[in-house]
Amino acid sequence: MIEFRSVSYAFDDVNVLEDVSLTIDDGEFVLFAGANGSGKTTLLRHCNGLLTPDSGEVLVDETPVSENLVAARSNVGMVFQHPRDQFVAATVGADVAFGPENLGLSRQEIDRRVDAALEAVNMAGREDERIDALSGGEQSRVAIAGALAMEPTHLVLDEPFTGLDDPAKRSVLERLESLSADGTGVLLATHDLRDVLALADRVVAMRDGHIVVDEPPARAREALSGLEVRVPEA
Amino acid sequence: MLSYEPDGTLAHRLDPRSKLAIQIGFAATALAHTGLRALAALSVVAAVVLLVARVSVLEALYAYRYALVFLTLAPLLAAVTFGSPWIDLEDGATSARASYRVLLILLVSAAYVRSTPVRASRAAIQRTIPGKPGQLLGIGVALVFRFLPVLQADLRTIRDAMAARLGDERSAVDRASTIGILGLSRAFDRADRLALAMQARCFAWNPTLPALSLSRLDYPAFAVAVVLALSAFL
Amino acid sequence: MATHESTVDLVEGDVVRQFARAAVLAALIGVLGAIQIPYPLSPAPITLQVLFVFLAGLVLGPVWGTASMLLYLAAGAVGAPVFSGWEAGLGPLLGQTGGFLWSYPLAAGLIGLVVHRGTDLRDPASVPLPIVVGALVAGTVLVYAMGTGYAAWLLALEPWEAIAGFALPFIPAELLKMAAAIAIVTSGRIEPVQS
Ligand SMILES: Nc1ncnc2c1ncn2[C@@H]1O[C@H](COP(=O)(O)OP(=O)(O)OP(=O)(O)O)[C@@H](O)[C@H]1O
Ligand SMILES: [Mg+2]
Repeated sequence: MIEFRSVSYAFDDVNVLEDVSLTIDDGEFVLFAGANGSGKTTLLRHCNGLLTPDSGEVLVDETPVSENLVAARSNVGMVFQHPRDQFVAATVGADVAFGPENLGLSRQEIDRRVDAALEAVNMAGREDERIDALSGGEQSRVAIAGALAMEPTHLVLDEPFTGLDDPAKRSVLERLESLSADGTGVLLATHDLRDVLALADRVVAMRDGHIVVDEPPARAREALSGLEVRVPEA
Repeated sequence: MLSYEPDGTLAHRLDPRSKLAIQIGFAATALAHTGLRALAALSVVAAVVLLVARVSVLEALYAYRYALVFLTLAPLLAAVTFGSPWIDLEDGATSARASYRVLLILLVSAAYVRSTPVRASRAAIQRTIPGKPGQLLGIGVALVFRFLPVLQADLRTIRDAMAARLGDERSAVDRASTIGILGLSRAFDRADRLALAMQARCFAWNPTLPALSLSRLDYPAFAVAVVLALSAFL
Repeated sequence: MATHESTVDLVEGDVVRQFARAAVLAALIGVLGAIQIPYPLSPAPITLQVLFVFLAGLVLGPVWGTASMLLYLAAGAVGAPVFSGWEAGLGPLLGQTGGFLWSYPLAAGLIGLVVHRGTDLRDPASVPLPIVVGALVAGTVLVYAMGTGYAAWLLALEPWEAIAGFALPFIPAELLKMAAAIAIVTSGRIEPVQS
């Protein structure tokens, strides 16, 4: 469970989040929508302590993030835009192992997790391939595997589809759908809800640092009009 | 260009640490000797090393072709004297022998490059240099390998864009500083995203180190390294 | 799970940022080793690598500038094709280019120390120009002193022979790189990480 309690945050005196409260249960698939600069990225980076609130509190599994950063970061996996810049090694297996190595796990457990994570993103058996030689969609999936190898309860993805062509995007979506079906919570920020609305349990929309919509997809469509969010045609 | 290639040679099966030790031992003795007999002996050792790693001499020479330019130039510079007799053959010969041992050092290092994957080198660094410096150096080396192709593509884009905007007609300072600003700011944008991704994956001072263990083959290899190093005092 | 996780010692956020920049800059210098600018006075083509050694000190400061150059040398030593002309291996660090290569961490550190007056970084664009120029000249002298000194010893050359072969032909190119480095820092477009 991820819980925001009255979180406020400012960049250089400009309020980017104002008194945001939100609770996300395990296994939920939540979409974060909103115009450019509405605060989605800022909000999500609080989930694992990459940003710390100016006031208020963020809790992961009832523990404040600031009290146990390691727990927050291993329970909430995070994947950013531009997967190309998120790899620490030249080959797939060495990169996916980075998270579990940092957790100090045994070599055996690390190998098991790398295998499982690659399996979950449909990249099983490709440990030795050079990341540089992979397609954009494959790179995105390896980046997701890097987060999954920490065995998080939630996976946060911030605009994961930028730069991906349609088949690549679909291959990533399909993996998210199966992860969600297996019980991993997914928090996905995007401008374009057209292909993802059907997968979600819940849509949270932001404007100017506030949550202005928090509805199941069926009811969110109407509320989203006027927020510069692309929604599927009815 | 010389790079790692998977193979089953004896050199590939050695621990990276024993290969480093042999290189250092070889360089120590090569830097201490320029006598003809010593050079002949060193040539034999270098040839054996290349053979063991299955690197062809021609290929290794080609990889170091720019170095060869300077190594040929040095004896010429040494031989030329101002004033009669204009050419001092003895000085030239001394410098030629000195240059030749440098060539041998280069050839021996080619064997390491061909037979050692990054993963093994990283492990050797982290297991040899203790504490925080070793951890940063090991991960840092992996990052350099990872980012080489990424930045190569960036630089190509920058040069193409400059050429398209009549960049060839600008002054050399202007061109160098444009490459500098664009290259560095793009590289740092990537670094900032990389830093976030590493933090999200719990980048730690005390990770599980990559597996590395000495085999029976490595003891004789270390002995060779010690003999080479001691022969520096002959 | 909780027991082992509590022993994970996370790398501090500002260290991660500087470290990532140091590593990426090391790779960038490596890429520049492959881009060779034909240059009439030199027997082998010149590269812009030294410009980025200057920038390492100017932008990353003495500690991380030095670290960046050490990463560059270490990566090259274990096989990354980062030395000029795509070369790799321990050989170039001990061969006739060795003095030049080993001077990089020292030069970046020296430039960083002079420009930032210590380990707290300041914006190099705000540092008086004579100090920046002085730092760059000192750095260049260090690079060439170590580079030619080692080459002279290694290849059994007289000092003037080494200077004629390894330093003099490059002076115009070095002046160009200094001018470019100054143009880059005074442009104010590269911000150091404030910690
Ligand atoms: N590093 C920063 N320094 C200063 N201001 C920032 C910084 N990062 C974000 N902001 C500001 O914070 C506000 C919210 O930005 P945020 O990135 O959270 O929005 P977003 O909803 O993710 O937008 P986008 O859809 O463009 O990704 C914006 O006004 C932005 O300009
Ligand atoms: Mg965003």
